[in-house]
Amino acid sequence: MRTPATPNHLDQTLLALADPTRRAILQRLAAGELRVTELAQPFAMSLNAVSKHIRVLERAKLVRRRREGREHLLSFTPKPMDEAARWMEAQRASWTSRLQALDDLLQAEDRAAAASAPPHPKGRLR
Amino acid sequence: MSDDRPVKLTVTHRFKASAERVFDAWLNPVKARCWLFVTAPEKPLVRAEINARPGGRFCFADLRDGEAVEHVGEYLEVDRPRRLVFTFGVPKYSPDYDRVTVDIVPEGEGCVLTLTHEMGPEGEKWKDSTEKGWSKMLVGLDTWLYEAPATAQ
Repeated sequence: MRTPATPNHLDQTLLALADPTRRAILQRLAAGELRVTELAQPFAMSLNAVSKHIRVLERAKLVRRRREGREHLLSFTPKPMDEAARWMEAQRASWTSRLQALDDLLQAEDRAAAASAPPHPKGRLR
Repeated sequence: MSDDRPVKLTVTHRFKASAERVFDAWLNPVKARCWLFVTAPEKPLVRAEINARPGGRFCFADLRDGEAVEHVGEYLEVDRPRRLVFTFGVPKYSPDYDRVTVDIVPEGEGCVLTLTHEMGPEGEKWKDSTEKGWSKMLVGLDTWLYEAPATAQ
């Protein structure tokens, strides 16, 4: 069920995660803080291209940047992903409870039918 | 309608009722308003309109803080009693439409229902996504992040 809390930042998270390079960046940062240059080093692309990916991750608040002198240090912040995962779990839970409500409704129909036609309830019902 | 919804989740439920009865409960307005899109048991829907054919639309409205909030969508497939596919959205909160697929397989005297909910922004934005399955990572985030070695491609 959508609520006012769901929309935009979830899209930002998903958008940021939708790219394999950005996911690889996150995986490397999950192991610990890195300088931008260290982070970019194993990727077969320019520092500039990597920086663009980093900016998308920063916009989604998945990556935080701090300065130490002239160095830019990047670290992973899991909160947006935790929120996205929680949101998905909430969706799953609401479908589970709706389907249970449907089940209850159909069983109530069975009981009502059994009560109104007591002589031959078997075979016809359930 | 794009098939590239980034996030997919699945829920399965086993019913004692027949596939036909379970299927019909999705499309019968009197029944559907008792359970589908009901946010709280004590708050039944104030409106349920269903045009149950491919291309037909539905509108369910519930009351939130005294205001009717509409859940609307379009039926894409209506194949009684096997399969029902529809889009749905809540225009008040988001312009996006999710897609829900309901598959029903008879089992004994009852049936097994598998619901697949696909959501998230669709279309162009996702073109650079090379792995469709990444959304599953969202569910098992820790495993994904800390397990696989980083690959740079």
